[in-house]
Amino acid sequence: MDKSTKTLIHYEWKTFTRNKFQLLLLAITFVFALYAIYYGKSEINAQLDTIEAVKNLEEKEFAEYKASFQKELVTLEQEQTHDIASRPAYAWYRHGYHAILYPHALAPLAIGQRDLFRYYYRLTGMSLHYQLYENELANPVNLLAGNFDLSFVLIYLFPLLIITFCYGLFSSEKENGTLALLKIQVISIRKIMLIKLAFYLAIITGLALLVSLIGILSTANPIKSENLMASSLWLIGAIVYCVFWFAVMFVIISFRKSSSFNAITAAGCWLFFLIVIPGMLNVIVTVKYPVSSVTLAGLTRRTGLENEDDEKEAKEVITEFLHYKPELADSDSLIKNNLMPKAYAAFTSLKDIHNQEEVDYYNSQINKRNKWIANFYWLSPAVNMQEIFSQITETDLNTFLVFQDALVSFHRDISDFYFKRLFWDKPILLEDYSELPVFKMPKSDNRYLIVFTGLSKISLIALLAFIVGYIKINSISK
Amino acid sequence: MITKPINLIIKKEIKIALREKLILAMGVIITLLLGVALYAGYISFKQQHNIIHETQAQKRQEWLNQGDKHPHIAAHYGTFVFKPKTVLSLFDFGLDAYTGTSVYLEAHYQHEFMFRPAQEHSSIIRFGELSSALVLQILVPLLIIFLAFASYTNERESGTLKLLLSQGISFQMLTWGKVLAFCMMLFAILLPYVIGLTILSGMQSQQGTTPHVMLRVLLIILFYGFYLFLFIAFSVWVSLRATNGRNALLTLITCWMFFTILLPKTVSNFSESLYTLPSMREFKAGIEDEKTNGTDGKTPRSVRVAKLKEEYLKKYNVDSVQQLPINFEGVSMQYGEEYANQIYDKHMQALRSIFHKQNQISSITSLLNPYIAVQHLSMALSGTDMYTFNHFEDKVESYRRELIRKMNNDMAENSVYGEFYGYKAGSDLWEEIDDFSYQTPTVDKILVSYPYEITSLILWTIIVIALLNFTNKKMKPLYG
Repeated sequence: MDKSTKTLIHYEWKTFTRNKFQLLLLAITFVFALYAIYYGKSEINAQLDTIEAVKNLEEKEFAEYKASFQKELVTLEQEQTHDIASRPAYAWYRHGYHAILYPHALAPLAIGQRDLFRYYYRLTGMSLHYQLYENELANPVNLLAGNFDLSFVLIYLFPLLIITFCYGLFSSEKENGTLALLKIQVISIRKIMLIKLAFYLAIITGLALLVSLIGILSTANPIKSENLMASSLWLIGAIVYCVFWFAVMFVIISFRKSSSFNAITAAGCWLFFLIVIPGMLNVIVTVKYPVSSVTLAGLTRRTGLENEDDEKEAKEVITEFLHYKPELADSDSLIKNNLMPKAYAAFTSLKDIHNQEEVDYYNSQINKRNKWIANFYWLSPAVNMQEIFSQITETDLNTFLVFQDALVSFHRDISDFYFKRLFWDKPILLEDYSELPVFKMPKSDNRYLIVFTGLSKISLIALLAFIVGYIKINSISK
Repeated sequence: MITKPINLIIKKEIKIALREKLILAMGVIITLLLGVALYAGYISFKQQHNIIHETQAQKRQEWLNQGDKHPHIAAHYGTFVFKPKTVLSLFDFGLDAYTGTSVYLEAHYQHEFMFRPAQEHSSIIRFGELSSALVLQILVPLLIIFLAFASYTNERESGTLKLLLSQGISFQMLTWGKVLAFCMMLFAILLPYVIGLTILSGMQSQQGTTPHVMLRVLLIILFYGFYLFLFIAFSVWVSLRATNGRNALLTLITCWMFFTILLPKTVSNFSESLYTLPSMREFKAGIEDEKTNGTDGKTPRSVRVAKLKEEYLKKYNVDSVQQLPINFEGVSMQYGEEYANQIYDKHMQALRSIFHKQNQISSITSLLNPYIAVQHLSMALSGTDMYTFNHFEDKVESYRRELIRKMNNDMAENSVYGEFYGYKAGSDLWEEIDDFSYQTPTVDKILVSYPYEITSLILWTIIVIALLNFTNKKMKPLYG
């Protein structure tokens, strides 16, 4: 570092520490960030409490079933419990299994869509579609307002901080009359501006890293192998995003206009990246790919056999169902025992099979939407960053779509477990309880790929902006 | 003819604004955005309206043509209600993306609304959708700030202020001239949009869900007029007080940021932490528990039905339910339904009261923040607010109750005890149930629910006018 650089930094530091307003802004941002971390944690903790509660309920339910095998059955209730525990005709639609999407350790930092989607389901062997579409309770007003989490602070507030710190870097020298003094120095204006920008970049990015670290350390153990990648990506993301905004400021400054012009242009950029572009993309995608859930609503209708006394109808339904599940056929007692439970099980499964096309269509429309809109993320690094943060913390839409897919196979496992016994007229034994279906959430492998592509896009735009600024700032003085 | 000085001031401000390319560009952009927002809002309204209309009609046919069956099976077969799009949702999407859109109506259970449209989007939806309301609430104020921040500081920095004052022009006249000039410019920018909005909503006003569409449009124009005037007057005031343009701009942008982005989010998040919601599982479990064990916790259903049975035997003076002139199963079914309704109402009320408390905080905050005030009033008049949604939910629930009551009564009157599959009702009964139709609350009813917001806009207007007048008088020409 040469002497003039040191002098510049030294004086910038003096200006910085003297400006009470700027210091106050930094302090306020810091406090907001702490609140955001606290808020995110409280939201996710509430979800964890709910998860804990539903898990306990499930454990209690199954503990009762298991206990009923060992106890002597005295009361009517005990007998009923044992029936539900051991007879597939009851068990298939009464045993409830929870599929839970656990929050990622860093989820409190970017709540993403976690407040909007369900993160737990209780599934029985009944029609899956009947069980899928109930929402979690939420205040729509607060859903609309969105979450004040750390990702919000970084994405919305940090750019504003950068704007207020940098919009006058060149123009204020001009307006205060010190520009002429700078111009007669050996060191070029370009270098002076770059040093100043680097100085504030260090301070603001430092703050971004500090609050991110506080967030990470207070929510997760970053050394743990499963968190290490996510934590480092988060920190890299915070740096890249700040650098991008500094590059934008560099371009604006390089036009050597007045402070007011710079402030207006910078605020305009902020508005475009954070409000106008995403707002436009959202309405365009809504109109271009109209998705309507109304067609799906009908799937949740509770229907059954027309007449539960009608054996013929029951047999027809079973036969149709066995066409899809031939492995359940061929039992001698197929029609003799438990005809109605079998018919009902067949009926609700058939309903799922028949309706699957409609559900697939709906899901494919949503996928199309997201594919289309993802093509335009590069237009706004803010949108891109939000997506990156929610990818890192597994609170993005895709995670929930994968979760819902996983529900389908989990539901299949549950149905298979009970139907195998129901249609073959085998009781559920105590030892069967050790092989109950278990929910597995598949790991998405391209998550980090999306994050890397996103980050490179932002970096690329930042680099381009930097080059433009680098050339432009000198072109005027010549 | 002598031109009044105030006219000259207005003319001069407009000329200066037109010279600024940046301002001009922003004006064009805002007009374009408003156009896009209005057009997209209209298309989206039409799309949703049509599909909801069609599906609702289809569900009605399904209900009417469900064939002959026992009324209780029909009550379980039930029907669906879809939340209709209100005409002015083309102006302000409000909560539409976050309130559920369809609900299944059946016996015994109150289902919650399913499918929030925001679930059909990726996380980008949380940045908000571009509606006309968003442009007017957030973007136009920023344009105003850019227009007006230098209105005084420029005069001061270039020395023209002293010239003006030496010509005998008072601060009062100068300030109001500037405010008027900005009002006129804004009016010119927004006029095409207002005409477009009026025409489009006028075209759809026959649709029927929202009464008094034109009155609503008028009130929307009025409230936004107040809101935007506030920004104009406040910006001129800040410029009047500021030492230089840079400071004026920084102050104004900070205020804008604080009022439109930070405060609303902070308040609603804070309200969420203050009044926590139960999970759906807890909520449902609470209802189920009371249904099973009775509201007092010790009267299970069997006991309740036995008591009812006794009452009926006594009333008709017979020994067994078979001797009753009506089918007791229908009676007990309806009794259970009403009992469950009571429980549901109690729990729903508790839940609503949490929502209400949460939302009340931001309503009260609107006294400090006119942005929240105009946001709430805009949603209210567009029929996309919480109050209208609750009103709609209530109407749907009473429709469900009426439907189930008719089914149960028919069963009590026409079927025989113990012969469930022996009786079948037909299309005559299904037709007795009217199709569901919905009208949002009228304008006066809805406005009454937003007293803080209306007070806020009026209060702020008075404060800002008083502030301007006060400062005008206090300003000394010498230091101007």
